[in-house]
Amino acid sequence: MIAVDAMSPPTVESPRLVDQLLRDRPAMIARIQRGTELAAIMRTMCLTIAIAMAIVGAALGSYRGGIQVAFAAIKLPLVLLGTAALSAPALSAIGTALGRRSRVAVDLALVMSALAFGSLLLAACTPLVMLGRAMEMPYHRMILLVVFMFAAAGVASLRMIVRALAAEAAPGWRTSVVGLCTVFALVGGQLAWSLRPYLVRPRAQDIVFVHDIEGSLLDSIETVIDSAQGNYSRSEAPL
Amino acid sequence: MSAVSSVPLPRPASLAMAALGPVAIGAILAARVSHLSPLVTTPAIVFGVFATTSPALYIATATTGQAPALGAMMRAFGAAIGAFGIVLAGLVLPAAFLSLTSTAATTTFAVTSLALVAAAVLALWRLSAELALKGATTWWVYLVWSVATLGIAGRLWWDLAAEVIS
Repeated sequence: MIAVDAMSPPTVESPRLVDQLLRDRPAMIARIQRGTELAAIMRTMCLTIAIAMAIVGAALGSYRGGIQVAFAAIKLPLVLLGTAALSAPALSAIGTALGRRSRVAVDLALVMSALAFGSLLLAACTPLVMLGRAMEMPYHRMILLVVFMFAAAGVASLRMIVRALAAEAAPGWRTSVVGLCTVFALVGGQLAWSLRPYLVRPRAQDIVFVHDIEGSLLDSIETVIDSAQGNYSRSEAPL
Repeated sequence: MSAVSSVPLPRPASLAMAALGPVAIGAILAARVSHLSPLVTTPAIVFGVFATTSPALYIATATTGQAPALGAMMRAFGAAIGAFGIVLAGLVLPAAFLSLTSTAATTTFAVTSLALVAAAVLALWRLSAELALKGATTWWVYLVWSVATLGIAGRLWWDLAAEVIS
């Protein structure tokens, strides 16, 4: 099959690609490694991430409801697509430096496909978020549930990348994976942090699209774990 | 002697990246501290330290009797510099993003340092593969040279950051 223009609209091939991603990832990896349909794969995976993460974002936003549903549905796809764009070149760069064949487009398609798979898994978990909302699960427990969901989806995505690079068996593939994970965690964490909030307390009055740049992500994680255990650093929760 | 499993780097492109990478990292630090000196000092540290310590590696490995021919040694250094440039090219954007979205100058120092260290370590790894080092003595020589080179560059980088951030 001849690679098509990246700007052309999705074709009937797109649902088949998504189906193959869910059912037969080794075949999907082989398809990417052949490098003949990269434009179609990239377009489909981009769209899949955008739609799946918008669904996840809307589900998270529904915990507060109102305009936050739209805000989170817009921001979450931006986080994942932005992180992929900033991080994927690191995989190619580190691999090439260590003697792997330089294939930036193939690596980007692989990272996008793995993230699309993770996004679909997250979308499949949205009923859990809705259940938490229906049962009025406390805010900090809801955050921990979301962290667990994202961690599980992240591991699944990483597994796909590791499987693809291990099959290639090029020099330095393990270092490339470690490098990608490090860059992805740093960039993804910071981008997600910069575009927060996604999950907002139901009683919150003023909703903002993004907060001002403040503090660090690690400080906030520590505070959330303390709060989930009932150790609060403030006299009352912020609204 | 080159490692047979390694794919050759695209030489002109990787050398161009090696030339521009340290400038870009210096620019990230310069933008944070509103001070132009890192733009010039960062590439000066990288290439100055590499230029002054690389003859020592040739002399030391030649003394052990395991050094490749001078031409092969030069090609290996070229590949290592190219690897350094390519890794930096992949890390400049994430480093710039992390620096721009943080409020502390120490974060900028941390991410730019991390990018430089990662590129340097992977370049040293590539250099060892290109040289196809043999024998424990040669490996020790290489290890000591690597630690000395990283140590000198690290100290100079630390001094630069301390001066511009303070």
